[in-house]
Amino acid sequence: MTQHEFDPRVKQLLDGELTLADLPAELRAEGEEALRLLAGVDRTSVSVPAVTWRVMAALERRRRRLWWLAPAVAIAAAVVLLLGRPSTPPTTLSATVVTVRFVLVAPGAHQVSVAGTFNRWDPSATPLVRSGTADTWVATIALPPGEHQYAFVVDGARWVPDPAAPAVDDGFGRRNSVLTL
Amino acid sequence: MMRTGMILGLTLFATTLDAQQTIAERLTGRVPSEIAALVQELGGAAASRGLPVDPLIQKAIEGNAKAIPADRVAIAIRGVVAQLDSAAAALRDAGVASPVDTLEIAAGGFAITAGLRGRDIGELARTGRPTSDVIVGLRVAGTLAAMGVPREETVRLVGSSLRAQQAPGELLTLPGRVQSEMARGATPAQAAAGLARAAAAQARHGPPPDRGPPPDHGRPPRPLAPPLP
Repeated sequence: MTQHEFDPRVKQLLDGELTLADLPAELRAEGEEALRLLAGVDRTSVSVPAVTWRVMAALERRRRRLWWLAPAVAIAAAVVLLLGRPSTPPTTLSATVVTVRFVLVAPGAHQVSVAGTFNRWDPSATPLVRSGTADTWVATIALPPGEHQYAFVVDGARWVPDPAAPAVDDGFGRRNSVLTL
Repeated sequence: MMRTGMILGLTLFATTLDAQQTIAERLTGRVPSEIAALVQELGGAAASRGLPVDPLIQKAIEGNAKAIPADRVAIAIRGVVAQLDSAAAALRDAGVASPVDTLEIAAGGFAITAGLRGRDIGELARTGRPTSDVIVGLRVAGTLAAMGVPREETVRLVGSSLRAQQAPGELLTLPGRVQSEMARGATPAQAAAGLARAAAAQARHGPPPDRGPPPDHGRPPRPLAPPLP
């Protein structure tokens, strides 16, 4: 993964402080590229020891009180990943959990969730929340290592594969997104 | 001889019953009764052949969640069974000691869903790596195929990486590395080919000097079935 220094205003975009429309025209392409990279990185596995996940769970509880900080914290974590992945990948997969951040840009949606093999395809189990920009929906969850298939459910009825992830035939004439951790 | 046959028969019967009970518990109230009955029937038979039943259960639940008509769910479930059978046959043909790990069969089934063939599964299994590494390799191969990497390049890349004794964590970085190359303008095939050449060189010459030995150095080799007489 290459290192790349973004313009400070693009970093503000990643932090949810600005939208693409707020960027000057000459920076929009870079902003779009940054968001695209961020979406890609979010699907890259991040192995953390169970104790670290407990810390993250505690942060999640605090998020309810400090909700306005949550997008910045989550995106900052993703940016850290963007700029430098851990150099020592896990060797004992069973001893790790993996945090994954799902992101979907869904203009006009009122409700978005993610359903897949990890939550028994339950559309109500893992709702996404609106991020800094109105059309962006995110959810961060812990998953066990393995191969997972999933799709986003928009407004409780429309099953949408993740546009930023590989996909396979679901056997019903549609596509399931794939996440391998 | 007759006693051995009876014991084997009873064991298979118990396995089938156990699988059917597990399926019934997991599907009750989640899918229509006719789908639950079908999964119980197919799952019991699959378990007796050493196949995993979880992919069948998942497909049934997925079909119900997506409001797919029952007849189409039934077709999809039979398709999953066929893919698992193909994967198991490929692994057995590759000389994997019996019984084949159900996780390995499930990983092979996923790779077939993504576009690989039975002989590709066999080729990856024949790399002689431990089962846990081959399982990750099969999942990664399926993911690469789903990304659009051609079958031959997928097998070459994952096979080279396995033969280079890359650890599971390193194998899991392959889709991201291919994606990075694609972001720079390479086609999926070009991206995979470049990484495969590097992995093949590593397999021949060992890891670069600054990386040290692979993390699983010293792990016993994957057990293979004895050669056929």
